Amino acid sequence: MRASFSDNLVALASADPSVLLLTGDHGYALFDSFRRACPAQYINAGIAEQNMVGVAAGLARTGFRPIVYGLSAFVPVRVVEQIKIDVAHDNLPVIFIGDGAGFVYSQLGTSHQSTEDIACARAIPNLSVYSPADRFEVAACMRMAYQSKAPIYLRIGKSDRGDVHVAVPQAKIGQLLEVKSGHSGDIVFIATGAMVRTAIDIATQSYPDAAVWSAPFIKPIDHEQVISICQHNRVVVVLEEHSVFAGLGSVIAEIASEYSPVKILRIGVRDRFSHFCGSYEYLLKEHGLDRAAIEQRVRTYLSTE
Amino acid sequence: MQTAKPDHREQSSAAGSFDPAILRKTVLDMAFAGSTVHIGCAFSIVELLAVLYRSHLRYPGNDPMAEGRDYLVLSKGHGVMAQYACMREKGWIGDAEVAGYFSDGSKLKGLSDSRNPGLEVTSGTLGHGFSVGVGLALGIKLKSTDQKVYALVGDGELNEGPIWEGALFAAHHALRNFMVIVDENGYQAMGTTREVLKLESIQSKFESFGFEVATVDGHDESAIDGAIGRLWASASNAPKAIVAQTVKGKGVPFMEHNNAWHYTRLDPETYARAIAALTRHSQ
Repeated sequence: MRASFSDNLVALASADPSVLLLTGDHGYALFDSFRRACPAQYINAGIAEQNMVGVAAGLARTGFRPIVYGLSAFVPVRVVEQIKIDVAHDNLPVIFIGDGAGFVYSQLGTSHQSTEDIACARAIPNLSVYSPADRFEVAACMRMAYQSKAPIYLRIGKSDRGDVHVAVPQAKIGQLLEVKSGHSGDIVFIATGAMVRTAIDIATQSYPDAAVWSAPFIKPIDHEQVISICQHNRVVVVLEEHSVFAGLGSVIAEIASEYSPVKILRIGVRDRFSHFCGSYEYLLKEHGLDRAAIEQRVRTYLSTE
Repeated sequence: MQTAKPDHREQSSAAGSFDPAILRKTVLDMAFAGSTVHIGCAFSIVELLAVLYRSHLRYPGNDPMAEGRDYLVLSKGHGVMAQYACMREKGWIGDAEVAGYFSDGSKLKGLSDSRNPGLEVTSGTLGHGFSVGVGLALGIKLKSTDQKVYALVGDGELNEGPIWEGALFAAHHALRNFMVIVDENGYQAMGTTREVLKLESIQSKFESFGFEVATVDGHDESAIDGAIGRLWASASNAPKAIVAQTVKGKGVPFMEHNNAWHYTRLDPETYARAIAALTRHSQ
């Protein structure tokens, strides 16, 4: 997934000299090929994220296409106000890449973990939020972000969980993508980012009739498609490596509550910080987001609803 | 490149005189019409803006959105009424907008909003415009044009961390086309800058960040004009800074050095007194 990110970045910048990559002194090794291929389009803005976003806004105003890279805990969370005022207010074409979202930095603690970023970003007018699940969705999201010429937050979470597609999907912006087919009826899964793999594994093992949808676009999202999924199922389970507040689960619940009320189980981070450190799998367990814990919650929910 | 350079002095003189007394009267008219605050913040930058608009800012075709224009970034958005007054002289704002300031549905807000042609950034939340200006300057440098960027910041605004992030960046990237102008009026919202958060020497701070700096009387138009000209003429690649020593509320004696005029609204009596004081002052 990170290789796909780097390859697509190099491809965009090689084809368009107005593309400039700004990093807040992050991305060691990740940008080696970019720096080789497009050295004049690489700017390390230093450990100064607020200024970096303001600079990106100024560059966009003079006709450049800045791509601002940081860890998701910093871009967008540390610079929410700069994104809102300097960039989104005037719909400037700046792409924000928030890498390492969720619990990727499982051993470093809360400062580098990011489970509030979608919530921060999606309330900002004009700002879209993309959350790809694998290398193919990364490619599709980056192409669409570049073409949209508007502010985009592109969230990259745990990147080594394998493919959920076999090729780059020909998606429209906002579209949910079926990554496991199923029959309408009892239960359906909608997930984003690294949790798409978990949803597929759970459904394949325990709910073979259930469809699994990946949501690479948190905002905008295709309302008609969400309504249709909600109308045709008794229970919708939404999974994300993000707070249960104002993330994908909230998006689905907001749409469903207005147009197609249905039981929705929101699986995510339940309003708590990490207390301990350890492997990524350990952190998922601590937050009840490992496969076994999620299966248990789904079973309990289905048996009591 | 030089031959394509527009004669900005000719354009500007055609558009308005930028007489500080007239600019201050427009500010008072707007503040009274809108029953609004921040008069002191606007008055301290009147001469700075007058010199910039009259003699330095280039707007080809007198178009505030012209490709190739110079950029004036009002980072201290609280002074925006002084900029509106200049935009009126440029013919970009009409008398109806001055008289209708803050009426329902009006476009001109109490802080700088970039959706109005002539205002380059949305500011008021402080420490933003400086960085956007640095980005504009970098973009211009990468495009190799001769445009210039002026970022007008308040001395209180220098409390904000991103200013100093941007200062490092501007010097590192040798943005010689970037000039920050600090309105050193010695006050911020809740008191003097000395009482709130000591700044010490602004000149030495910017010098230590790698800027070429001049300190001037921010109400002496020829001194301001001379300092801007000298800094641009320098052979150095360093970004430029002007520390303009100003008086908050300048122009109306009962407002000068009185921080209450950061927040106080005019009533008919104070409006009349202020207008009378301006008239006396300018005669």
